[in-house]
Amino acid sequence: MSASLGIATRSLRNIRRLPSAFIPALLMPVFQVVSFSGTYAGVTQMPGFPTDRSVNWYLPMAVTMGASFAGLGTGFSMIRDLQTGFSDRLRMAPTSRRQLLLGPYIAAWVRACIAVVLVTLVGFALGARPVGNGLGTFSLFIAGIGMATIGTGWGLGLAYRFRDMRAAAIMQLTLFLGLFLTDAQTPIHLMDGWLEFVARWNPLTRILHVARIGFVDGIGSADLLIGIIVMTLAAAGAWGFALTGLGRLDD
Amino acid sequence: MSTIALRRRDQIGALSSRSILSLVRQPSLVVPSLIFPLFFVALGTSAFARAINIPGFPEVDSFLDFALAGSVVQGVLFGSVTSATALATDIETGFFDRLLVAPSSRTAILVGRLAGAMVYGLAQTLFFTLVLFPFGLSIQSGVIGLIAMMIGGLFTALAVGALMSAMAIKTGSSEAVQGSFPLIFILLFFSSAFFPRQTMDGVYRRIADINPLSYLVEGFRSLTIDQLTLTAVLQTILIPAAISIIGIGISLRTLRNRLAAS
Repeated sequence: MSASLGIATRSLRNIRRLPSAFIPALLMPVFQVVSFSGTYAGVTQMPGFPTDRSVNWYLPMAVTMGASFAGLGTGFSMIRDLQTGFSDRLRMAPTSRRQLLLGPYIAAWVRACIAVVLVTLVGFALGARPVGNGLGTFSLFIAGIGMATIGTGWGLGLAYRFRDMRAAAIMQLTLFLGLFLTDAQTPIHLMDGWLEFVARWNPLTRILHVARIGFVDGIGSADLLIGIIVMTLAAAGAWGFALTGLGRLDD
Repeated sequence: MSTIALRRRDQIGALSSRSILSLVRQPSLVVPSLIFPLFFVALGTSAFARAINIPGFPEVDSFLDFALAGSVVQGVLFGSVTSATALATDIETGFFDRLLVAPSSRTAILVGRLAGAMVYGLAQTLFFTLVLFPFGLSIQSGVIGLIAMMIGGLFTALAVGALMSAMAIKTGSSEAVQGSFPLIFILLFFSSAFFPRQTMDGVYRRIADINPLSYLVEGFRSLTIDQLTLTAVLQTILIPAAISIIGIGISLRTLRNRLAAS
């Protein structure tokens, strides 16, 4: 465990030493919640829209996006470590592969917490208000950490496989597309055409429901359960993807 | 005098050919500015299909008709940043300095570099329109409206390209020019490019009201969703043309300052 904590600490120190690598990933979801809530304020007037506050709809999307990109950030760092040879030195150390993997995960969770808290605060400042008993904010946080876990596994897995900056482009593009091909902009029942089908079957839609449950009407406990199951399976799959990728470095 | 004018014309022609060819030869530079706007149109057309009935939304047959203007301006803006980045790369590699020591006109160097962006802006407008036609796009102002939009696309590319070129000349860094990309994105988002101003409220509405991009996009939009009017044609062409004149002026001044400092 100490090896994992050491790797995580090193990764977190890089936030201070190399802020240009972290700040954009932090500002992007802030910009997203600010701009989407204002630009698309009118969508709440669509009959059947589940909230009268646009920021309630767009805040969870920005939080999951920010958290997942905080996770991808560890993938970018891993590419740098692979190229400089630092990663090879770590692999020669008498430490298990799982420990080596856990380090970036811990760093990603801390980064994600920063992103989730900041974006949520901005959302609240813009007028976001939880519905019900307020537990939705906790659910939003869980969804954020879940997406950070998925993003980390996905980013690390690609970094280990490509070992250069091509992986960075692929990890960003796939996650960006994956999140936008959900009900990110409007609810599924208000869509028309191809996106309705894609969003309905996109597993990330279910995770967005976990994030949204406390901010909009119409998402029930069954949706929450399905969302958590999907999130757990996706996180496990991403961990496996990263672990097999790490194993491939030995080939 | 005529010989000098001819030379200047030749210089602009040669530099224009180079900038246009550089875009043709490096498709990886231009593809994102074609794909991303189309992706957002596809996404918006499906996600906001029913939003066209909300109060304040202009009368349109489909969200696709509404979205064309935003996608054209978005694509042209992104393409223009690419062209300005190419100018910054010329500065970094030393090619720009070689042009400056040659007996070439300063305006020719700048306009030649921007020609690629202008041609690309025009082509993008046509490309987006042609690609979206099979999906039900209709241009209410007809062929004349489309031609006006293409000219508007050309001038928009020139306007943004000139302003970004000033930054390229000032910094001499392609990274700095690329770094300004989010600013353009923010400017675009706080305009009526993606949703009508009439549906916004509060500070967002006020920002969109003073954002020149709103009026630029609305010119294109008017040509798409309304019958042909002189006002819409002038709005589509004259706004970017006016910004172009300002942009070229700023760029030439920045170039003079750079030469004076060196």
